[in-house]
Amino acid sequence: MPDHALISLKSITKEFPGVRALSDICFDVERGELHAICGENGAGKSTLMKILSGVIADYQGELWIDGQKVRFEGTRDAEKAGISIIHQELNLVEQLSIAANVFLGRELRTAIGLRDDRAMERQARELLSELECDVDPSCMAGSLRVGDQQLVEIAKALSLESRILIMDEPTSALTESEVERLYRVIARLRERGTTILYISHKMDEVFHLSDRITVLRDGTFVCTKSTNATNVAEVTHWMVGREIEAVESNVEHQPGERLLQIENLSLPWPGHARGFRLKDVSFDLHRGEILGIAGLMGAGRTELLESLFGATQEKPTGRMTLRGVPYSPRHPEDACRAGIALVTEDRKRLGLFASMNVAKNISVCALQEMTTGGFLSFAKERSAGDQMIHRLRIKTSGTAAMISSLSGGNQQKCIVARWLLTDPKILLLDDPTRGVDVGAKAELYKLIRTLCEEGLGVIVTSSELPELLTLSDRILVLSEGRMTDFMSRKDATQERIIAAATRGWQKSS
Amino acid sequence: MSQKPQPSLSGFGLARFGLRGNEVILVLAIAVIVLLTLAIDSNRSYWFEGKQNVVEIARQTSLLGIFALGAMMVIISGGIDLSSGSMIAFSGTVIACTMIALQKGPLEGTLPEWLVVTIGILSGLFSGFLVGTLHAWLVTSIKLPPFVATLSTLVGLRSLARILCEFTTKTFEGGKKTQVPIEQAFFEWLRSPDQIWVWVAVFLVLAGITWIILGRTVLGRHVYAMGGNEQAARLSGIRTDKLKWFAYVFGAMTASLAGVFYITNEGISAPVNQGRGHELNAIAAAVVGGCGLQGGIGTVSGTILGALFLRVVIDAVAKIIKTGADIWEGLIVGCVVVIAVTFSQVNQVRSTSQRIFGGALGIWAIIILASTAALIVVSTQGLTYGGITYVACFVILFGVKVFEDKRATTN
Repeated sequence: MPDHALISLKSITKEFPGVRALSDICFDVERGELHAICGENGAGKSTLMKILSGVIADYQGELWIDGQKVRFEGTRDAEKAGISIIHQELNLVEQLSIAANVFLGRELRTAIGLRDDRAMERQARELLSELECDVDPSCMAGSLRVGDQQLVEIAKALSLESRILIMDEPTSALTESEVERLYRVIARLRERGTTILYISHKMDEVFHLSDRITVLRDGTFVCTKSTNATNVAEVTHWMVGREIEAVESNVEHQPGERLLQIENLSLPWPGHARGFRLKDVSFDLHRGEILGIAGLMGAGRTELLESLFGATQEKPTGRMTLRGVPYSPRHPEDACRAGIALVTEDRKRLGLFASMNVAKNISVCALQEMTTGGFLSFAKERSAGDQMIHRLRIKTSGTAAMISSLSGGNQQKCIVARWLLTDPKILLLDDPTRGVDVGAKAELYKLIRTLCEEGLGVIVTSSELPELLTLSDRILVLSEGRMTDFMSRKDATQERIIAAATRGWQKSS
Repeated sequence: MSQKPQPSLSGFGLARFGLRGNEVILVLAIAVIVLLTLAIDSNRSYWFEGKQNVVEIARQTSLLGIFALGAMMVIISGGIDLSSGSMIAFSGTVIACTMIALQKGPLEGTLPEWLVVTIGILSGLFSGFLVGTLHAWLVTSIKLPPFVATLSTLVGLRSLARILCEFTTKTFEGGKKTQVPIEQAFFEWLRSPDQIWVWVAVFLVLAGITWIILGRTVLGRHVYAMGGNEQAARLSGIRTDKLKWFAYVFGAMTASLAGVFYITNEGISAPVNQGRGHELNAIAAAVVGGCGLQGGIGTVSGTILGALFLRVVIDAVAKIIKTGADIWEGLIVGCVVVIAVTFSQVNQVRSTSQRIFGGALGIWAIIILASTAALIVVSTQGLTYGGITYVACFVILFGVKVFEDKRATTN
């Protein structure tokens, strides 16, 4: 065993115009270990991984792999050196088959130089079965669930015979059972001697899997510790640079008048074997109440919120009553008028206007109120923006800053601010803390509670059960489009929710 | 973490007039081209015939600018309108045919000419409204990509204009004609160089209205929002279908308004070739002026400067080459768009390891660029100079490549 580390980072510095993303990062990664990299959003984890995987070629400092100084000009160089990366946002060509994706750029050929699809499919099938992924390699990659797509990327790394695998937030879009499977795959990879760099926000994962933990904060190196020698509170403290206050969860709400009543809500799904996205969902929501919606990916959480918001393709059936009046929105505009607001799940794709500044992003839903004599008043817009920045404690240099310069949590607050300006009665939050770092999460929880105390009715979905258990007064569980359980918080446990969320519809019908 | 606002390139005090980085560059580029033309043109036309030249450039810029504003609106909304060249011809034909029908049909002699002209122009504009509405329907209800929807009207409208022209002339004048002279006094009056102020006024008023819509109304902000992120706009309660209707109608109606000036300028309505290919000039003006084809980005001032820049460049070449300059127009527009958009990207950071002439593609690019330059010189100056140009271009560009390769390896 050579005495030098497998990966050695020496004074890595990377500057973007106006921002120093990384400064003077030094640490080593040992052969065969699972090394977790922790840090809040914007700490520089992704930039560092991009340097390691050859995406960024332009940096200061030295990178040593296996005792040799290297400088990757592109991902191909990094692959040759045995480094593969599984990005948080997967990089598959959805229109190509699974096998074609695994061998993309290194296609196998027959004796006369034509593409050898059959050999690629055979090899892809072997790789995938090793990863407990039972899919047909000739299927299109886009038809797979996210968890399976991720395994296809891992299969690609395996076929490259990578000895270093970088995983960037691999569980962020996985269901509980898929996470279990991923853990088994990781264990198997480690038996083969693969070194893994594991980036995650989630402390339980990091402590479950890793041998050592490196913490980054604001582009600087904080420390590297052996996992056994530290604990969650300590690592969180290093990441945030301050203590995170625990969210008070034992306040019982006194629910007020009934805001919304849903009876037998169904949403058809033409062309699908199941025939519906939602079936016979009934519940109600009161003033000052937080209703949590639990369920696995594809259970219909987003579809339920979209039905309430009039944003679905198909028209939902069933009866909705909003403050005693029948309500059937056909367009999000109807919902806005009725006082319902939706903060969407996929912030970048469905929420942000990336080419606009903070003020414009905040004002977009309430522009009618920011006019004088029919024309936009920039003064009114600015002051509304400033008010919201102050009220929600959004960290930004001002209303003129580009929205893309804000961190994920602050972008999310801007979107909440956008809706608060419309003075809603009901706030729908679809996985509001997705991609938001630990510190900002606690602030968002607090914000949601405050809004609730001010008399809003809130419906929140989340892929993280502890989050729902912290926030909600009542929890509704969906499984494959049907409501399988409905409980108040005092009866709710993780086990009960998971049991209901994984219950097949055959049983419940 | 403190965030700084994005620094903007403010050069030469022009930023005080509300111009952005690439607009400042455009103003400077226009000035440079005018000065160059003044220096190179052997007739010193800009010096001795200043007034005619100003009138001509103003006329051409207004002509292009009017429907470039429409193209810009559609681009900002996240779509594209390829049909404006045909819309110009169609609107011109509708105007001409309406006037023929009124003056030579059953109502012959009963209507005063001013009423005929007014009804004619209003019909032309209304045809723009109808075509824009058709586009919006194809895009929002039939869900065609905007490229396909407007490509089909690009080819369809020109054909329809021809059918309309032949039908009308046959019915009311007894013989099929493929073009109609425009002889009404109003158009003769408008054509005169003394009335150039009307052209400029129409263009600038339209630009002012567009600026107010985009900058100061809810509608305009929603157009930017939809172009930037259509899904997010819809989920913010914005009626995107109605907005698209507005954008496509605005695009087609500006083209139909341009049609009025096209038939005035040329003295005829010619469905076959009037405005042919000019949709691309309008898109080029918008893009040179800073519009992003992905939508959500663009300004009125940029588009005005883009249109002016294109016309100044085309005029400069006409002054320098003198005869048959129109055949150069396409080539110039093509080059100018590439150069202008390349320059506007200079602001964005280019990685130092990025090479212009990297790899085999780079070698071929050098050959193509040198050959194009040589072909141009051969066709104007003869074989000897062509050969010299080829060698010179090749050596210079290859020098750039060698320099780049060297820099890349030393890093």
